[in-house]
Amino acid sequence: MPDQAMPAGENAALQVRNLNFFYGDFKGLNNVNLDVAQGKVTAFIGPSGCGKSTLLRTFNRMYDLYPGQRAEGQILFHGKNLLDKGQDVNLVRAKIGMVFQKPTPFPMTIYENIAFGVRLYERMSRSAMDDRVEWALNKAALWGEVKDKLQQSGLSLSGGQQQRLCIARAVAVKPEIVLLDEPTSALDPISTAKIEELIAELKSEYTIAIVTHNMQQAARISDYTAFMYLGELVEFNETATIFMRPEKKQTEDYITGRFG
Amino acid sequence: MSEPSASAGIDLHAQQVRKFHLQDKLFHYSTLLFAVVVLAALVGILISLAIEAMPSLQAFGPGFLWTNVWSVPDDEYGALAAIYGTVVTSVLALLIAVPISFGIALFLTETCPVWLRRPLGTAIELLAGIPSIVYGIWGLFVFAPLFAEYIQPPLQGLLGDVPVIGGWFSGPPIGVGILAASIVLALMVIPFIASVMRDVFETVPHVLKESAYGVGCTTWEVVRNVVLPYTRVGVIGGIMLGLGRALGETMAVTFVIGNANRINGSLFAPGTSIASTLANEFGEADPGLHIASLFALGLVLFILTFIVLAISRWLISRSMGSEGL
Repeated sequence: MPDQAMPAGENAALQVRNLNFFYGDFKGLNNVNLDVAQGKVTAFIGPSGCGKSTLLRTFNRMYDLYPGQRAEGQILFHGKNLLDKGQDVNLVRAKIGMVFQKPTPFPMTIYENIAFGVRLYERMSRSAMDDRVEWALNKAALWGEVKDKLQQSGLSLSGGQQQRLCIARAVAVKPEIVLLDEPTSALDPISTAKIEELIAELKSEYTIAIVTHNMQQAARISDYTAFMYLGELVEFNETATIFMRPEKKQTEDYITGRFG
Repeated sequence: MSEPSASAGIDLHAQQVRKFHLQDKLFHYSTLLFAVVVLAALVGILISLAIEAMPSLQAFGPGFLWTNVWSVPDDEYGALAAIYGTVVTSVLALLIAVPISFGIALFLTETCPVWLRRPLGTAIELLAGIPSIVYGIWGLFVFAPLFAEYIQPPLQGLLGDVPVIGGWFSGPPIGVGILAASIVLALMVIPFIASVMRDVFETVPHVLKESAYGVGCTTWEVVRNVVLPYTRVGVIGGIMLGLGRALGETMAVTFVIGNANRINGSLFAPGTSIASTLANEFGEADPGLHIASLFALGLVLFILTFIVLAISRWLISRSMGSEGL
């Protein structure tokens, strides 16, 4: 499907080829092909159950945790297939971070929430770690709000702050790609706006893939948008094109609110 | 027949509501009654224990707790040997049982293949259902001889010459004794601790574990840094449940502890526990100081268990306070 590839001139951070995904006997993804562009924001939209979260969860092999779920095909990351059996999943997940729908701070202090992931892969002095924590919290636009209470529990923060803490945690291990699975669906509009600003900042250094239910959000923050329906990639293009001149009738119906 | 008037309808409602109120009150007071019965039983047992133990407490005073004498002919009694045996066997049992239970619970929740999960879980629950007398018989006739022949001599050879702890493994390898009792106790509390741990491990939200895997954690790192802190309260509760059971376990311990009312530095040596002393001596105790001292032992066990419970409550409330869980 050549029309699903990205426009020329972009580097691909991930190349998805002939991807099929199964929940037991149910086929959750059907022959998906697309490239996630380096240093850009790629949004995945579509009605509930269309497979967009499933697709995101293949990018860091999160489905491995559940017996009965399997993926076939290729997801090339630096020329290697992520889906290969020999692929080290822990390393993959350190390189491809993820933030979930609900904020999930670990049951530890704010400082430890950030330092924890870093410590898994890097040995550093206390002061270097302090710097890294500050850097990550700054990246997530949270430093100002928490710098005086780093030793408090991560659970003491508000929902929006918790979500930014989770983004800081993902960023702290210096991944190449950050996956966001409906990161603002549990947040109020002000927190949502903060996270969206944050995504715009982060894309200068990271490749971002975001699943969202909110089409305006996709239109606001993404460079590329993929519309999915019933496990298939229906249309994939620059966000402006998808929203202004969608090629497929299904896409147009969805973004104009006629179904879904 | 005339149509029911509106006011009659309201009356009917008011009547109905009064009836509901009455039912609610009745319900409230009957449940209160049940709760009070439990409390009354607790206080009643405590008081009657204290009354029965009074002659002994008057004769020996608080020294009862730290006197290492238990002599029926001389009519002199002290609880130290029994307290020592109870505490040492229970603590040793926990030292053995907690890591094993932890491993079992982790395997069942994190790494076990799905088809094995149910049979294994059921087997562990069955282990909890074996009557303690069966553990006792098995311990005395099967475990103790094997223990004496195949485990105690090598253990002695390995650790007997090590300073300080060597003494723990000295003496004749006769099977029954403090260590054998601890191991049988450990076997008995493993199913309790393991199933509580499994249940609390299963309460960790998937998405929380996924986030930890998402930063690149291995299973062990997820368990160590997310599952355990998240479930600490339940884990402590499970361990304390096991400790409570170990402290009070009677039949199995009576069979394998050796029933010698003295303190010996060696874990191979026979000893006694509060519960096994009670079980052994109540039948033939003469009225007077002997019976009273046995009641006093019962009181000590009661208080010991109460202290364990209080400590676990305190641990739980403290850890809840520090993490805001």
